[in-house]
Amino acid sequence: MSKMGTLYAPGNSIFHRMDGSVKMLLFAAWTIATFLFLDLRVFVVMLLVGLGLLLSAKIPFRRIRVIFWVMIVFNVFNTAFILLITPTYGSELTGTSTPVLNIGYNTINLETLFYVLTLTTKYITLLPISLLFIFTTHPSQFASSLNRIGIPYKIAYAVNIAFRYIPDIQSEFRSITNSMQMRGIGFRKGDAPFIQRVKNVTSIAFPMLYSSLQRIEVVSNAMELRGFGKHRRRTWYHMEKYQGIDYLVGTLSILLIAGSIWMKVSVLKGFWYPL
Amino acid sequence: MISFHNFSFQYQKLTEPTLRNINLDIRPGEKILIAGPSGSGKSTLAHCINGLIPFTYEGKLEGTMTLHGESTTGKSIFEISQSVGTILQDLDGQFIGLSVGEDVAFSFENDGVPRAQMKQEVERALTTVNMLDYIDQSPHDLSGGQKQRVSLAGILSTQADILLFDEPLANLDPASGKQAMKMIDDIHQQTNKTIIIIEHRIEDVLEQLIDRIVVMSEGEIQAIGTPDEILSSDILRKHGLREPLYIEALKYAGCELSAADELTQLHHINVPKFENALTSWYNAGTASTSSPSKQPLLDVQNVRFSYDGEHEVIRGVSFQVQTGEIVALLGNNGAGKSTLSHLIMGIVRQSSGEIRLQGEEIRNWSIRKRGEQIGYVMQNPNQMITQHMIWDEVALGLTIRGVSKETIDAKVEHILRICGLYPYRNWPISALSYGQKKRVTIAAVLAMEPKLIILDEPTAGQDYKHYTEFMEFIAELARTGLSFIFITHDMHLALEYTDSAVVISGGEVIANDKVASVLTNAEVIERANLKETSLSVLARVIGLPSAEGFVQHFINYEKQVKHHE
Amino acid sequence: MNQKSIFNFSTLVVVAIGIGAALYGFLGFFGFTVGPQTWVKPAIAFLTIFGALFGPIVGLLIGLIGHVITDLISGGIVWWGWAFGSALIGLFSGFVFMNKDFNVKAGSYAKKHIYQILIYGLIGCIVGIGEATLFDIFIMGEPVDKMAVQFWGAVLANIATVTVLGLPIVLAILRVNKKSSNLTIEK
Repeated sequence: MSKMGTLYAPGNSIFHRMDGSVKMLLFAAWTIATFLFLDLRVFVVMLLVGLGLLLSAKIPFRRIRVIFWVMIVFNVFNTAFILLITPTYGSELTGTSTPVLNIGYNTINLETLFYVLTLTTKYITLLPISLLFIFTTHPSQFASSLNRIGIPYKIAYAVNIAFRYIPDIQSEFRSITNSMQMRGIGFRKGDAPFIQRVKNVTSIAFPMLYSSLQRIEVVSNAMELRGFGKHRRRTWYHMEKYQGIDYLVGTLSILLIAGSIWMKVSVLKGFWYPL
Repeated sequence: MISFHNFSFQYQKLTEPTLRNINLDIRPGEKILIAGPSGSGKSTLAHCINGLIPFTYEGKLEGTMTLHGESTTGKSIFEISQSVGTILQDLDGQFIGLSVGEDVAFSFENDGVPRAQMKQEVERALTTVNMLDYIDQSPHDLSGGQKQRVSLAGILSTQADILLFDEPLANLDPASGKQAMKMIDDIHQQTNKTIIIIEHRIEDVLEQLIDRIVVMSEGEIQAIGTPDEILSSDILRKHGLREPLYIEALKYAGCELSAADELTQLHHINVPKFENALTSWYNAGTASTSSPSKQPLLDVQNVRFSYDGEHEVIRGVSFQVQTGEIVALLGNNGAGKSTLSHLIMGIVRQSSGEIRLQGEEIRNWSIRKRGEQIGYVMQNPNQMITQHMIWDEVALGLTIRGVSKETIDAKVEHILRICGLYPYRNWPISALSYGQKKRVTIAAVLAMEPKLIILDEPTAGQDYKHYTEFMEFIAELARTGLSFIFITHDMHLALEYTDSAVVISGGEVIANDKVASVLTNAEVIERANLKETSLSVLARVIGLPSAEGFVQHFINYEKQVKHHE
Repeated sequence: MNQKSIFNFSTLVVVAIGIGAALYGFLGFFGFTVGPQTWVKPAIAFLTIFGALFGPIVGLLIGLIGHVITDLISGGIVWWGWAFGSALIGLFSGFVFMNKDFNVKAGSYAKKHIYQILIYGLIGCIVGIGEATLFDIFIMGEPVDKMAVQFWGAVLANIATVTVLGLPIVLAILRVNKKSSNLTIEK
């Protein structure tokens, strides 16, 4: 995590220059499109496009490597649980059953394996655009972008405050836990029996809570004194005028939503199983 | 400009008024200092000026307050903030934006100013405070002084003609504090805005010209006068405020002070009048420096450390702490003071070098094992307290160690008595004052029976009276053989209560000596963002043979005085 | 903050949402695994606390924003189903705030409020995690039986967190705030 509290990686790609609200729209469209389907063909196409876009943003790979690993580990476990708990789920979707592996109490079939492959691809399809959004959007743009897409500015500004104070809360958390450890209060496995550890974790909550309540008061006073909430609208230092690319991507995003809804309704209605 | 007439205020939840019968006229273009100990009502007065009272904090108002000749009753906080700009003490609370530019733009955004115009105004404001180069930086990359400059730019960009500074020096190191006062003075001269400063660190504020000082105590104004008038009287001391050190020295030397002696301008002070008295006081000084027993408790030898394996932040630091000794760890922000204390506490481990405790190398000791020998007290007690009741907080470490209930009870009682907290043993901690909470954190650490206690900014947020009480308590503990390391910006503290000072700059020890000699060494002062003490300036102006000797004499004399009180 | 209106977006409320979301978002990193793909986040306790302190809307927004922030900061993808789940848990934790005679700051509460915190916490967990489960089944296309296992794991774990962490903390604050009057100095 950077000092800004997010993963933002500065750069000058087309996505870095794109307006935050347009990226939000693209992110939303992509997410909706992915959510609609359970069709490997759709996901493969989207995944390839997504990876292409991600490459064009030139995010240093070492910064996203770990995230890919986490995603893979998640999917391995998710797949394992599905296969163990519902080894024949695929049949419910296709109506056929082709046994592959006997696991004692049941048999994993080909339909389920293909289903798991589709589901895994679905999760991974969400990743490139999500990364693109997180790594190329400066946190300052979140609030103004939310406001631009119609969220009331007071709620949008709460997001700004959250990003502003996460690093402070993080360092406060660190110093609190350090000072507690110096007094013999352990949090890790082996430091103390489980129940005691739960109690120890509870005791972090108090100082965190009280200092947060104090912070709420100070920040709220500071904002009030500087005229926050004076008018029904406010302008944003970080809100740029839309450029050509913003209109283009915005339009494409809306087309993506419309197109995918149409496809879902009339062409690719359910689970795709070619075998 | 601002005028209070028979003004009183009582918070809704309190049974007594916090401000009583305030009569005060602040004139346009005036630069005024409002000083008072904690609980004197000075912050409440500030809240009345900027409109937080009655808009955020409710209560009963009596009398009148007028702003620009108009009564403030019925005005909104937004209307008031158009003429009064406030810079809060909490620099991180004040800095709301995610970047410098965004923070300065905050009030423009709220006013709905178009973006193009906003950009220009922001740049102009940042130029005034010399921070334009930092426009895209995040607050986490700035020092306290820089954050304050940004806040000032944010206020200057509005058209407020009154600037209210709430304890502007509280979170700054000595050199940055000096710069801050200079900057406030520059702004005052350029814009002729009315400046109101709320502070209890009077010596530092008076480095720049101030028109009047208002002394507050117990909710009332006790005195209003020019700095010369106030300094020549005994008002400050009487109301629990600290006089500038050189004024104290003059008084110790038996000098008669009068408002005509130009007391605020140390360089122009009435030399002929004070020369003889000071010289004879100085010569009466005996070099009675009782050196503590030479038993190294903590021995740091040539310690090196880097976070990333490339840039060393601690570069071969060595120093010792003797049993029963109080050592000040001084240095600018980012010099490596906290890293060094983290190394001692075991939060991070040195890449080379040794840290020995009573002769034993502790490299492989866990944080918790070190915690049995070394106590650490954070600056803000609210961040340390985890229990609701005082008794439980102090007993916590022992309970976790699995000590029997009877032993715990006996020990906790003993420690609460030492710390003067026994009468409050059944109180919830939230009902205690800041200084009392601070004592609770010390008590909690004492219960672990450490040999060394590291105190991070022990006096921050405490006024002179509480500070003195607290430090006398620490000094008493040191006499029982406990050792202390103070990590501090506070020069007065270092001067009065520590035996020696270790000064860090750029990850290296640049001085390790008696406090008096460190704080009179110009080179060290410059490199570590410290400030020359006014005592040594006085010694020079008067023409005494040794500034260091003078400072040392002052420390010794003061210790005697305090001991007799 | 005098009138207990839940739609009153004063500056204090805006900041409470922001700081609460930062807390929930940051602490959301820490969790124990209790079952297949199921974590207990002690951070959930903060929804109980902030809900009781500031009401249902603040609880809802802290849950939503905080959860999305955890997902955004840890990278990878936003689990919208679970983010809305957090929002619902936050919403339910705030209902106790709407009692006129319940006030954390003043320490005024009755026994019934303790049951309310517990019951709303329970319902919140069931509704919130139920929503997340249905979302995963219908939107993501996860198998029902597998999600049933996750549902029960998550519900039990979160109810345990609310009961063991959230409620005691709220109670402790209430007791302290109540006790802060009539203190005497004992010899």
